Amino acid sequence: MLFFSFFKTLTNQTVTIELKNDIRIRGILKSVDQYLNIKLDDVEVLDLDKYPHLSSVKNMFIRGSVVRYVMLPRSEVDVGLLEDATRREAANQAGKAR
Amino acid sequence: MSFFGFNTTLPRDQDTGPAGSRGFFENPDPFAEVARASALEDDDAIDFEDTYDGLGDQLNDDQDEFNDDTFGGGDTAPAVGRDFDFFGRTAQVADAIGEEHVRYTLQNPQAAPPAPLHAHVAAHPVAESTKRTGYEKYSDPGYIPDLQAKSSVWGLSQKKPEPSPAPMPAMPMPSRKMMMSLEEVEAQMRNRGQAFGPIPTQSIPQQMPDPSYMRHPQDFPTLPDGFPANIPRNSSEHSLRRVDCPRICRTLLQAFRSCMEARVLCLHLVQNNIPQNLPPQGPRHAGPPPAQRQQQMPPPPSRGPNGGLPVITNPQQLVHLTEEQRNAYLMEDAKRAKRNHKIFLLSRGNGLMTPQDKNFITRIQLQQLVAAAGNVADADPEAVLAEDFYYQVYSQIRGAPRQHPHQPLGHFAQTYLLQTGNRIGGHGNRRAFQGADNHMQRMQQQVQRAVEAAKAKPKNKQLIIEGSLGKISFSNAKAPKPMLNLKRPDSSEGARPKKVQSDLSTSDRKSLLGNIEAVYNALMSMEDMERTMPPPPEEGDTEAIQEHMEWRQQVQTLNQKLWQALKVMEPIVPNATTPHPFIAFLSYPKGKKAIPRIFRHIDQEQRVTILTMIVVHLDSLDVVRLAQHSGPGEAQLSVAVREAIDLFSLAVMPSLLGYVNEAPFNIIIGLLGLVIAQTQVIHVARTKTGLGILTMLLSRAEIVKEAGQASERDWQQWVEKFNVLFDMLEPGLAHIFPGSINSGDDMYVWQFLAAVGIGASPEQQQRLVIAVKDRVMETVGYSKTLPADMSSQRLGNVNLFMRAIGLDVELLG
Amino acid sequence: MERLSLNESPANAQRNPQQQPQQQQFQQQNSLGPAGQMPTSGPPQLPPQMFTTAAQLLDLTDKKLVLVLRDGRKLVGVLRSWDQFANLVLQDTVERIYAGKLYADVPRGIFLVRGENVLLLGEVDLDREDEIPSTVTKAPFEEVFELKKQEDNKRKSGDKKRHTELSALGFEPEHSGEILF
Repeated sequence: MLFFSFFKTLTNQTVTIELKNDIRIRGILKSVDQYLNIKLDDVEVLDLDKYPHLSSVKNMFIRGSVVRYVMLPRSEVDVGLLEDATRREAANQAGKAR
Repeated sequence: MSFFGFNTTLPRDQDTGPAGSRGFFENPDPFAEVARASALEDDDAIDFEDTYDGLGDQLNDDQDEFNDDTFGGGDTAPAVGRDFDFFGRTAQVADAIGEEHVRYTLQNPQAAPPAPLHAHVAAHPVAESTKRTGYEKYSDPGYIPDLQAKSSVWGLSQKKPEPSPAPMPAMPMPSRKMMMSLEEVEAQMRNRGQAFGPIPTQSIPQQMPDPSYMRHPQDFPTLPDGFPANIPRNSSEHSLRRVDCPRICRTLLQAFRSCMEARVLCLHLVQNNIPQNLPPQGPRHAGPPPAQRQQQMPPPPSRGPNGGLPVITNPQQLVHLTEEQRNAYLMEDAKRAKRNHKIFLLSRGNGLMTPQDKNFITRIQLQQLVAAAGNVADADPEAVLAEDFYYQVYSQIRGAPRQHPHQPLGHFAQTYLLQTGNRIGGHGNRRAFQGADNHMQRMQQQVQRAVEAAKAKPKNKQLIIEGSLGKISFSNAKAPKPMLNLKRPDSSEGARPKKVQSDLSTSDRKSLLGNIEAVYNALMSMEDMERTMPPPPEEGDTEAIQEHMEWRQQVQTLNQKLWQALKVMEPIVPNATTPHPFIAFLSYPKGKKAIPRIFRHIDQEQRVTILTMIVVHLDSLDVVRLAQHSGPGEAQLSVAVREAIDLFSLAVMPSLLGYVNEAPFNIIIGLLGLVIAQTQVIHVARTKTGLGILTMLLSRAEIVKEAGQASERDWQQWVEKFNVLFDMLEPGLAHIFPGSINSGDDMYVWQFLAAVGIGASPEQQQRLVIAVKDRVMETVGYSKTLPADMSSQRLGNVNLFMRAIGLDVELLG
Repeated sequence: MERLSLNESPANAQRNPQQQPQQQQFQQQNSLGPAGQMPTSGPPQLPPQMFTTAAQLLDLTDKKLVLVLRDGRKLVGVLRSWDQFANLVLQDTVERIYAGKLYADVPRGIFLVRGENVLLLGEVDLDREDEIPSTVTKAPFEEVFELKKQEDNKRKSGDKKRHTELSALGFEPEHSGEILF
């Protein structure tokens, strides 16, 4: 649940999400669920001309599995803590596998 | 009143909430429903084997205080069961009601046509004389319990047809209702369906799902004149709700349409109707609350001849606007009207999903979530930490992840946090919070039960894996689908990638990174141990003492593990081609960052060992080795090296300094001896890190001396070493400055020179001045070209040194 | 209202958010111990309900949405109901087909969408929905549909070729089996 745990701390931050079909959407991360589905508010679709169907959309619910990247504000990430969280996650996984 | 408080809703529909407060237009707090629903459900254990019906049974339990008033129970009457005959009692007085209705109709010739109830009374006299069940009427397919009675609530009974441009097409004709064939009934229903879309039988908008629509309690629709002002809101809603909503909507639509036309006209003519209280509507503003819509809309046309015109709030307003503003206003107004109309159209099917439905699904998901991730209310904090470490700790560190508290909170959070019914009275309102406490506790208990339930049952893996959007992926968060599928060439030697540009072979690099991870793992175990420290045992409590001993034993074991992983004690191989493992450890950012954490868990002896290792290898530290600048005018160091140096000063130096500041003098002497004996002092002195460590040692010695803690013999020893150092440094002193004069950052050099200067003999001070005088003069000259604050800063740096040897830049003029 | 904790403790709510990295480390350790009191004494956190799919769909109920499905369909309709799998019920649904610089609307009525097929759904801004981007123009359904078929075929063959080449290099297709819009 590391990624879930991580993304939870980014609620109310502005992020840019790139989908696997290359659409890039910037918006305020309102919520994320354990499947990493993402809800964005106040969205802005970059390169909107290519995606007219999204022209009047103001908030979005995005299926986690179609997300390619999430670009997030550096200042909101505690790298040291994230490293430790990753270690714990790895230890947990190893513990479960055993 | 014409409708006697008579309620035409089915008894089963009454269960879904407390009396009143669910009218479509009047409910100011859409989440009150959710709140109530969940408050009631809180009392069930979360057991998802329960069906909805089970929940429904309980809903009414605590809502029957007024049953006696309503149904004439009380002391004399037998207790009203849950399956009470709601309609039957009314039916017993149906004749009287019918009479009353006829009389009312006669007295109000323009009022709504007689209610079908009356028609039925006439149509089924026989049924009424026999034993009633109260449900007879429902068995008649022609019986449609929606009636005029409620239109009168809206004052529509007084309505004159003329203000409405279109006739009310669906206004039921009472005569047709007298007796209809099944076909007729169906036809009628079809018509209705076409006109208004499906009408959910369970609950017409008892709640608007979007709180933004309903946030302002003052946004109640303006009641028409005919509406009795003193009717308790509950009762009016009570009779308004559900069945009659389509009609109300329809009526409003009519009114709305006619008014829109009238309004635009009148804007042009009268130019006087800017509503006073329009909120500013940005282009992306959400639709206004329907309630607000009601307000913005002109009152229904039942107001008389002028009914179609909007309320004139301030005739002067539009007059004073410029043409442009007026146009803008008109545009805006038209836009708003358009949106309102859209919202109206959308709202026809609102509430198909009840708050209970939403709550139910949320709870299912919550259960999945806590089963998978643990929960804040989980009794076992370790489990939470294991699954949700980053979030939990991050929240602690930053107070809360919300960096923008002014952003409106997600509706959802409001729903679940503040749903106690007494809505929050303002941000940070303590009373509101206390009011909410009760609910918080219950919510917490609920979640706790959910966790227990989830634990008690074997996890339904399928359910969890499938996820909220059904199962389509072949991967999941824990086992992501690999994106690369490289086939290894058979001969692993053949196609080896070129070595990364690094002075460590890849295998070394790998094992080093492995070492670092081992250190971190040991550290984290130790930090976990710290949390589980038993309270200090009391005297004589052998059990507690035993416990404490065991704990200390474990800590000791972990300490050894950490120490092993650090590889500080690996033998130093002279002239080795690869750096010492500990020095290699320190060459990684992760290694540097670990030092402060390590220092918290090791003893003084271990600390001095680490410091010794660093000092011995001073010139092979990455931050020294790679940071050589051979004098002024040199190219800048690479970004990576500068970052490494900064990290070293930030992460490692404070820990070392912390130790040195308490170290006994002989250790300082020993360390200085090591620098002289083991390192190339000239190289060391040309780096920020090297000078930093030298400054640290020199200044500590000075402090010890000043405090009179140094024995004569120790001091002699120190001076000897110092003289050696000075002699080694002297030839290179002009080159220890980084970059040219205008590059700035040379404060650490002046600090070092000051530390040397204090301890130096007068003769040495003389030599010192000669060695660096050029730089001093240059800096003084250069600082004259700088702005005042930068200038004084640069001069201040120089003065650090100058004052140490009893001079001042002022003296230089 | 920024205090979002199930275990409310306003006194703890305000912590100095500006901490040096190392201090953070320390505070982190401190706040975790001793004896794992953390979950009940910690500063506010968002309620777990916040992080469910239901939370994300709750606001969208009875709103007009654009839905993009796995097969590339774009649906516009009013969300009336949903469940924990994000299966959705849409009312007054219109399928909007885009091809080239053209688009066409096909009324579809009630739509029940299985959740797994939803790639993305967005709430339509009622103020802006009629501002059709100038890059597309409305055209008869038959024309757009024909054009779309051609486009799809072209894209499919292009995708296939690319996937073959990429998988030779060891890349798994990013969305195997999923046709993305």
